[in-house]
Amino acid sequence: MRHRGINMRHANIVMLLALLTPAMAWAAPNPRLVLPDFTALAHRATQAVTITLDSSLLSLAGRFLDGNDPQDAAAKEVIKGLQGIYVRSYTFEQDLAFSEADIDAVRKQLAAPGWSRLVETHSKKTHANVDIYIMVDNKQAIGLAVIASEPRQFTIVNIVGAIDLEKLHKLEGQFGVPKLDIDAAKTPH
Amino acid sequence: MSQDLESQLRTALRPIAPSAALEKKLIASVTEKPAFAPQTGRFLRRGARSRAGWLSIGAAACLLIAVGMQHRLRERDERANGLEARRQVVEALRMTSQKLDLAYEIVKSQSTALDDGNPGA
Repeated sequence: MRHRGINMRHANIVMLLALLTPAMAWAAPNPRLVLPDFTALAHRATQAVTITLDSSLLSLAGRFLDGNDPQDAAAKEVIKGLQGIYVRSYTFEQDLAFSEADIDAVRKQLAAPGWSRLVETHSKKTHANVDIYIMVDNKQAIGLAVIASEPRQFTIVNIVGAIDLEKLHKLEGQFGVPKLDIDAAKTPH
Repeated sequence: MSQDLESQLRTALRPIAPSAALEKKLIASVTEKPAFAPQTGRFLRRGARSRAGWLSIGAAACLLIAVGMQHRLRERDERANGLEARRQVVEALRMTSQKLDLAYEIVKSQSTALDDGNPGA
């Protein structure tokens, strides 16, 4: 009789866990953005860049990055611990060939809990806007999103995984990345 | 003169019955033949076995070559995919750094403008 009670209690716990697990997974912050289908935009663009690198492709790429080459070595360091890199970039022949509505679907996702805006820049001179978002979990950056819109180009970058901002700093001189004073530029969300 | 030669040739080329000794020899050689037959069979069997051996060696070699070629093709595909992934990683990081650079430039120009507008600060 007692055994039966314990078994029932175990069954209840298992059932509760089974019900809660998907809910917990749903509630956990997800740094992977669902990038919209920009096919229509790609047709209008003079240059379209679509990069989709999941963890398996990143580890494959890591095997082909030459540790003796400074650029490759820097890239290898950066992709260590990453789970994905997703880039969509479109360049147009004319100014303002895209609308803000095209980016809204991405911005909405970045308004979700977990994401915080690190940098928000608007240049009146060049009409370039760059927003940098970061997702932090346990004091570790687990997601980075960059939305850059210029008059003739619009780019979305989503990096998923343990991002070491220091390593990004180390890219200086390799890919033309300057030392970014992130704390100084940080703006409240 | 020519008739003489002709008659001489005819005499020389006339059919002659074989001698008894030759006949015996021939009969003996014919009767000995069956004794060689089993040896020929063995030889044929050995030949067949050797052919089968060569065939299996050939099949094994073909299999090895096929496996080797498949491995090489897979390696080549993996290399091509790896190099493409590497190119994409470099391109993605280049674009990311370009946009971070752009943000940095905007922030820098804005802070410079602020400093210029407020020299006392």
